[in-house]
Amino acid sequence: MPTFSADVYQNEFLPDGGTDVHAIVTITCTGAGAVGQAGAGDAAELVIVDTSGSMDGENIAAARTAAAAALDQINDGVWFAVIAGSHEARLAYPYGRELGMVRMDAQTRAQAKAAVAGFAADGGTAMGTWLTLATRVLATVPSAVQRHAILLTDGINQHETPEQLSAAIEGARGQFQADCRGVGAAWEVAEVRRIATALMGTVDLIARPEDMAADFEGIMRAAMGRGVAEAALRVWAPQGAQVLFVRQVAPTVEDLTARRQDVNPLTGAYPTGAWGDESRDYHVAVRLPAKVVGQEQLAARVQLAVGDEVLAQGLVKALWSNDDTLTTRIDPAVAHYTGQAELAEVIQDGLAAKAAGDSDTATAKLGRAVQLAAETGNEEATTRLRKIVEIEDADTGTVRLRRSVDKLDEMALDTASTKTTRVKK
Amino acid sequence: MTDEATPCPSCGSHVSAGERFCEGCGADLGTPASAGTPATAGTRAEAGVAAAAPAGEPLEEVPTAAATPAAAAGAVPACHSCGGAVADDGYCTECGTAAVKPRDHFTEQPAAWVAAVCDRGIRHHRNEDAVALAASSTPGERAVLVVCDGVSSSTDSDVASLAAARAARDVLQHSQPRGLGTPASRVAATARALSLAADAANTAVIANTAPGPGNPASCTFVAGVVDGPVLVVGWVGDSRAYWVPDAGEATLLTTDDSFAADQIAAGADREVAENGPHAHAITRWLGSDAPDHTPRTVSLALDAPGWVLVCSDGLWNYCSAPADLAQLVSATMASVGGEPLPLAAALVQWANAQGGRDNITVALARIDPTPTATGTPPAAHREEVSADANVLR
Repeated sequence: MPTFSADVYQNEFLPDGGTDVHAIVTITCTGAGAVGQAGAGDAAELVIVDTSGSMDGENIAAARTAAAAALDQINDGVWFAVIAGSHEARLAYPYGRELGMVRMDAQTRAQAKAAVAGFAADGGTAMGTWLTLATRVLATVPSAVQRHAILLTDGINQHETPEQLSAAIEGARGQFQADCRGVGAAWEVAEVRRIATALMGTVDLIARPEDMAADFEGIMRAAMGRGVAEAALRVWAPQGAQVLFVRQVAPTVEDLTARRQDVNPLTGAYPTGAWGDESRDYHVAVRLPAKVVGQEQLAARVQLAVGDEVLAQGLVKALWSNDDTLTTRIDPAVAHYTGQAELAEVIQDGLAAKAAGDSDTATAKLGRAVQLAAETGNEEATTRLRKIVEIEDADTGTVRLRRSVDKLDEMALDTASTKTTRVKK
Repeated sequence: MTDEATPCPSCGSHVSAGERFCEGCGADLGTPASAGTPATAGTRAEAGVAAAAPAGEPLEEVPTAAATPAAAAGAVPACHSCGGAVADDGYCTECGTAAVKPRDHFTEQPAAWVAAVCDRGIRHHRNEDAVALAASSTPGERAVLVVCDGVSSSTDSDVASLAAARAARDVLQHSQPRGLGTPASRVAATARALSLAADAANTAVIANTAPGPGNPASCTFVAGVVDGPVLVVGWVGDSRAYWVPDAGEATLLTTDDSFAADQIAAGADREVAENGPHAHAITRWLGSDAPDHTPRTVSLALDAPGWVLVCSDGLWNYCSAPADLAQLVSATMASVGGEPLPLAAALVQWANAQGGRDNITVALARIDPTPTATGTPPAAHREEVSADANVLR
């Protein structure tokens, strides 16, 4: 049986007239078990591989190997299928005129690997059609409550309109989770991030084709370890209060605020996808009507719910005080993740400005990023930033844009921007 | 304190007509028939029964005779702020207001003529005040009123102060010294018992001090022992005992062990000294770091109707001078009547209305000497008692 726990890090003291309460809530899951074993329902996996013409050469060869490596990681008994994507989507496995999925066993694994080995690069790129087919294929297995996909691409979504892609994303939202990967430098991070964010998965760059197999293997192994099919973060805030935002801040920054579904007028549920043995940090901010100094108030109940069952709860409190030594202290976890969230934002904004030719904005934003990375001790971000800017003074955020930058370095900085370092507690 | 005075059925606080929840303890007063407030969402209909069982563990052993008829088992606690249901986590499910913890507000009434109310106040997050009472059922026969005020800068003072008050009460309740039979020797014997009570209280504070570094738990101590026609008071720190006769001049019986009192003794104006920057710094206390916890003691002949009032600074900060306190008691009695529990609750409520800057404790014993009382009262004025003296000078 999976067990969840919730730990709250906050400064509950507010000054006279203070209204905003910030807290970091760490949710930890243990005993998740493997997919499809909890008895609540089956698991289904999709491998979606870009087979457009641009994949020709070492990319398609690497994709064949990587897809096979992913298939090797899927547990026996898990429903699965393989989709080959170009300007149109094709169900590469299982064979047959009807859409469907099969359970993994020695025979279906061998057949699927044979199908993957026959991948040939041809055609254009229309990722929306891939998502739509994936949604339809998964719909053939209603018993599968846990649905996950790996999606690989190498190019820009050229052969359909952005509106068509948006419609396909909306059709897939809530139907399955997708970890998305881009190989090479010809794909667009923002475009693929849009898919990954909507489908509650990760986005990352595979700079070298030879790294693809190990990456796919890792993604699929992690997916097989997520024994909790679906959980939601629930945030209760008192009457008259306003939930300013709910944000996952570790292991990656993800704003969940817009995902709210009302449980009741005071409680919102924010889907979190599947859970393995892991912990995730959430930043919850609530605005309260100020109370008299000395009064205590619950600002939020932050809960982890699986179905209708609440498995963990953390209490976010507010205590009004006129003791400055108490009210002026900022909780280290809140400070750390506030910085990390801003870091992700300024990196993305800075790179967007740079791409648009706005050097002044790019310099300012990336300078701030350098400053924040230094402040929060995010050395990986500092290393990646260093490839894009020359750092004159990290403390003040004084930087110069480098004249020649490898596109892959920019993409690596972009895809990694949402990855946070954990606060030392 | 204006319109019809209806005491709260739970704590005895004064409540005005039309109020749905007691200001003092948060008890649900039920839907007033006249107000016509509709029950909301089906949860409030049985409100009158639900009343005020506070969330969490009840205080153990608190003699609550007549105090909390509504604390029956199975009552669903209602939020004292909005009337919503209080969740298991101790907060309202609707407005998030923290439920009144039993430790934050409690009453004692061991006999009809002796009662106390101990309250968190408004500005403090914990109630570090404590009170413990004992009394014989015969009015005026014997009563013990102990108040301890935990020092807020120290750790676990709320636990320590309650343990101290109860330990002292137990000593004074179980040792009923008779001395040599003369009034003077009885006073001296009671003074010695007060010293033993302070010892026990001090031991209790130390026993409830968290090990390791940090500020050790500490608290004040004041105990009043009504022994027939005589009151003997012992104290350490700045919690006080007053004698407030129905007629005539009220008396402050204790002299604070405080920086302010030292200044007053040196000639400073009371008002100025008690509001100075270090007014609340006490010079003696109970606890592992106490320099000396021997109580100073005084005695007084109780030869007129009136109140023995033992309190923490949460009350007297707003009403220090005996004459002012006497006026307050008189005005409050005019409003809520002469029963000790409603009167104590109303005085606490008054201190909260003044800002409730500190925890507030008020303990009262009603004195109504009968002409047939036996024995000759000792000198009808305040006397310093030496704990070692057998005979009062």
